[in-house]
Amino acid sequence: MKNLKSFWAKTLIFLSVMGPGIITANVDNDAGGITTYSVAGAHFGYALIWSFIPIIIALVIIQEMCSRMAVVTGKGLADLIREEFGVRVTFYAMLVLILSNIFNTISEFAGIAASAELFGISKYLLVPICALFVWWLIVKGTYKSVEKVFLVACLFYVCYIVSGFLSKPDWKTIASSSISPSFHFDKAYIFMLIGVVGTTIAPWMQFYQQSSVVEKGIRLENYKYSRLDVIIGAFVVNIIAIFIIIVCANTLFAHGIRIETAKDAALALKPLAGQYCFYLFAFGLLNASVFSACILPLSTAYSVCEGMGWEIGVNRTFKEAPQFYSLYTIIIAIGAAIILIPGVKLVPIMLVSQATNGILLPFVLIFMLLLVNNKRLMGKYTNSRFYNFCTIIIILVMIILSLILFFTAFIQ
Amino acid sequence: MNLFSQAFQKNISAAKMFIFFSRLMDRPVFDKEAREVGEIYDIIVKPSQVYPISDGLIIRKGFPNRRYATIAWQDIERLDKNGAKLKISKSQLVFNQIHDEKKELTLRRDVLDQQVVDTYNHKVIRVNDIQLLTVEQALMIAHVDISTRGLFRRLGFEKSVDLVVRLFNPKAKYLSDERLISWKYIQPLTINPVSMTIKIDVPQKNLANIPAADLGDIFLDLNINHQIALFKSLNLANKTKIFTNIDFKTQRSILDEMDDHELSELLNNIPADEATDFLEKLPSEKTKHILSLIENKYSKRLSQLLGYSEDSAGGLMTTEYIAFAKETTVQSALNQIREFKFKSEPAQFVYIIDETNHFIGATNFRRLILANPQEPISNSAFPKTYFVHLDSSVKEVAYLMEKYKYFVIPVVNEDNVLQGIITVDDILSQLIAFAWRRLKKIKIIQKT
Repeated sequence: MKNLKSFWAKTLIFLSVMGPGIITANVDNDAGGITTYSVAGAHFGYALIWSFIPIIIALVIIQEMCSRMAVVTGKGLADLIREEFGVRVTFYAMLVLILSNIFNTISEFAGIAASAELFGISKYLLVPICALFVWWLIVKGTYKSVEKVFLVACLFYVCYIVSGFLSKPDWKTIASSSISPSFHFDKAYIFMLIGVVGTTIAPWMQFYQQSSVVEKGIRLENYKYSRLDVIIGAFVVNIIAIFIIIVCANTLFAHGIRIETAKDAALALKPLAGQYCFYLFAFGLLNASVFSACILPLSTAYSVCEGMGWEIGVNRTFKEAPQFYSLYTIIIAIGAAIILIPGVKLVPIMLVSQATNGILLPFVLIFMLLLVNNKRLMGKYTNSRFYNFCTIIIILVMIILSLILFFTAFIQ
Repeated sequence: MNLFSQAFQKNISAAKMFIFFSRLMDRPVFDKEAREVGEIYDIIVKPSQVYPISDGLIIRKGFPNRRYATIAWQDIERLDKNGAKLKISKSQLVFNQIHDEKKELTLRRDVLDQQVVDTYNHKVIRVNDIQLLTVEQALMIAHVDISTRGLFRRLGFEKSVDLVVRLFNPKAKYLSDERLISWKYIQPLTINPVSMTIKIDVPQKNLANIPAADLGDIFLDLNINHQIALFKSLNLANKTKIFTNIDFKTQRSILDEMDDHELSELLNNIPADEATDFLEKLPSEKTKHILSLIENKYSKRLSQLLGYSEDSAGGLMTTEYIAFAKETTVQSALNQIREFKFKSEPAQFVYIIDETNHFIGATNFRRLILANPQEPISNSAFPKTYFVHLDSSVKEVAYLMEKYKYFVIPVVNEDNVLQGIITVDDILSQLIAFAWRRLKKIKIIQKT
């Protein structure tokens, strides 16, 4: 009886702490992510599923450090970078972050436009409506209400799991290919692998996660629940990614269909897996795009205002935090406007977004490593030696992958 | 401090020499033989009367293996935007891996780019630059710069941005917008690693003069470590002031950091209605523990108050009021009022009760002062005083107070025994919350 009671007490605490980790991870499966996973599934079948195991580990380790820094110092990542590394570094980092997130936001609106076409609605109608909705949500909401909307949006990712089951996957092959890594030394395969890793671990995530844990005001004694939040988030997001790959591998790869975008994938699914699978896939894309179009500008505004020392907060009004809301509004406006230009080319936008992410990520990870090991800031909560070892390996791998991605983005 | 007073007198006659700390940072440092030994990294200051004065220089050399040396201010021959020249030679410098000045305030570590409290505008701000005043050989912190222009200066774009702005609008507000805040209004938030408190330079920091509600707002803008450290550094009066003006979440975090002694000291000084508001949200074990720490008489009252529902008259009332037996003379009542000490400020109403505490009537200070001092107090009572019961709803209380234009209304139990009073501010905060939830017209700036 007592055990049961303490179980419920713990569950309640977890529910109150839950949010930042799960939301951050889920935004990861945005329009760009879904495209990458669809293409990966359609072109390589189950051959890339094994990579999600190391990705989960890396994601947990990186995001856990953010969460820990937030709880221990009570400051956002941009705050800490400004205070420890000075204004110059912060300024340039924020500049690149703005640039990278503008391009990411454009690709989210591209996702909205694509799903509009899938549902047979004009993109000139749906994109402005979504842009207004996203803007209204943050400007009129408070942190608590916004977080609730986000958590509901996370639930809708279940569509992909359902559509995965609808495509009647072959579980035996999936299990065996996820345990035994099959590595091909073929250019397309390696690029695909980098793409999958690159979309799953992006620099805005660290900023967003840390700020939202701070905003939520999670206390040190509840930190273990916050860590659980991160771990669950990392698992959920990757499981959904795996299901997207499964759907595409099962149908498109099996029939040898080549695709370029998530929209192609959805259209190709219709005759192969049926109407419901198609609608679920398309709805999932819309949900993910709107959700991420909300978080990316928000995360940018947060980080930049933190770093520059401007007033921040979902809980404040436009007048109290003018820079925060202007930045947020401008990014959404740019994102939506560019997609509405007739005949706009999306491939270069995707490439620039990948390249800026690639430049920023190594720096952010190195800053994080230095900050999290700073005794003055973290006290006894610095990384253990083993943890540092793992982190350094992850950082090295990420740097190499980012560099490859960065250069290929321009060479291609 | 001799240097300081001399400097201050000179300052009036001599031309003022202001320099931004950003202009000094990273400039080269030469020893007495003009050999370069490193670059300016940080300046250590020591407290002086109002404006702290420079006491030492930290120089840095090497990359990526940075090493630091501290130099006493008297060993510096000259320091300006071209760099520094030392009176000592290279061999006398001791370089270390770290520069760990535990106690002093240093500009780069503690002020520049950090958050500080602006006690003039009642805000938490981030420092973009520091303006120093050259006096004699020393530097004094004069202002902190929080403008965007200061930000560009740090980035090295000040001149080019100025040029562009001037090109488009020579009278732009940006060009004259200095936004310098005098150091005397700045409270740094450096946490002393040993005592875990923040050093508050009384009296000039004026934290005590900020209205309680603003102080609470400033407090909520700080991160949790600063909140705790600042709280611990305040005196009891300010602690009480802040504690009753912050949200429950922050109250709890602070509570966890306090030992039993601090806790009982604080809670003994918080008005009963505020204390119950806070205690009823805590888990029951914690409430019990806290009640056990508080003075016996007070804790009994609190636990009684805690028994009432939050939105009933019993939950709203405070048990601090002035009541006299009906036979008391006006003279002796007034004498006793003069000697009363109250935690909250009960409005100027006095209640009249019989020997078994039954409510009879009310009067106010004005009527008492005008009354004949020898008469019993009951003669100066209002003809009729309305009251509410412990279980009356917020709506009933508000309705009665509005109808009879009361600032305070007494609360009695089923036997008509006086239990407490409800003041208009308690009812107002309830009503505002109620109205806002219903109307949603006004955005609740609720800091979660």
